Amino acid sequence: MIKLYGFPLSTCTRLVALVCKEKNVPYEIISVNLAKGEQKNPSFMAVQPFGQVPYIDDDGFLLYESRAIARYLSKKYPNQGTSLIPSDPKAEALFEQASSIETFNFNAFVAPIVVEKVFKPRRGLQTNEERVKELLASLLPKMDAYDLILGKQKYLAGDSVTLADLSHLPYGTAFYGLGDVFTEVFESRPNLARWWKDISNRPAWLAVKDGA
Amino acid sequence: MVLKIHGHAIAPLVRLVAEVCREKEVPYELVNVEVYKGEHKTPAFKEFQPFGQVPYIDDDGFVLYESRAICRYIAKKYASQGTPDLVPRDPKAEAIFEQAVSIETSNFYPFALGITTEKIVKKHRGLEPNEARLSDLVNNLKAKLDVYEVILGKQAYLAGGSITLADLFHLPYGTIVFEELGYDMLEDRPNVARWWKEITARPSWLAVKAKA
Repeated sequence: MIKLYGFPLSTCTRLVALVCKEKNVPYEIISVNLAKGEQKNPSFMAVQPFGQVPYIDDDGFLLYESRAIARYLSKKYPNQGTSLIPSDPKAEALFEQASSIETFNFNAFVAPIVVEKVFKPRRGLQTNEERVKELLASLLPKMDAYDLILGKQKYLAGDSVTLADLSHLPYGTAFYGLGDVFTEVFESRPNLARWWKDISNRPAWLAVKDGA
Repeated sequence: MVLKIHGHAIAPLVRLVAEVCREKEVPYELVNVEVYKGEHKTPAFKEFQPFGQVPYIDDDGFVLYESRAICRYIAKKYASQGTPDLVPRDPKAEAIFEQAVSIETSNFYPFALGITTEKIVKKHRGLEPNEARLSDLVNNLKAKLDVYEVILGKQAYLAGGSITLADLFHLPYGTIVFEELGYDMLEDRPNVARWWKEITARPSWLAVKAKA
């Protein structure tokens, strides 16, 4: 069985768990206590030199970086569960385009906002509201482009769900959950709102969103 | 029909695509986009690239944007020519490649891009750099490069013994930070320095640096 070294509530650990659920791949979570800084222990860093969760141990094959793990599992089990990475070359290229859109036009702004608004207060640190304002201002035109794209097609890489859509869920859910102007970013754009409702209600996500 | 790259010759990510074309011995034509005049924000451009970013390619009618997606598409389409295995095909080697790609995306690019934004982009817009933010970015990048030093002490390239796209992805913004802005982050990190020297001395990159 896949051993998932991570923290059940961590965003990136939940992304890997989500993909396991979509692919019907059983996994065992081995909890790394982030509050105690276990991810910075020498034994952890011997496997993951950046000291970040998660990593997997798949029968002795060690891999870190959640998006790399998600791709590995999607490709290792192409014929079970949801197909998440297209194999036709042009469809694959459009998946890669969508995947990069998520990384550079969504996550690059949404993740640091979640860090400022959720993670920092949890550690007793103060939110830099000025920075949040800046990040949000940068995010809005990107979300206009999303709304345009999702007005023409059902999902970010075409008419089928892919890993590129699912990768939005962990940070996107935390962002949406901030309420107020943050929720409005999604809700005020009809195509984006429709897409978000669709992906955030997938049974695989509902199964892991409160803990991998 | 020859591959068309729509972008500006000195845009970092246009250079990245041009670099990969050269590695794969794929002829291309650069179709100039006047980014300084805001051409990439016009409706005509956004028809093809809704985020208003360069570059995009037109490969005989197949339009694709996001530079890293384009690089993967070219590397796979022309797998049998030029530098081999820029995207490895063996499943485990491919997974380790994806890990390296994500390392660049999460642990290098955000900091290198942030430094570039503070020092160059803001200046172009007549703004002052945020010194506190800049110093955070520099310190963070140094800490990540300490980990690169460990990894590159064990293997020649970021994904193992052979060069891959994951290494090449560092070129545009690494060149800006280490060379154009002159941040000295290599001297104390001999393995990173050795790797950097090697990837920047590739004839394809030297050609692109001179003219995309």
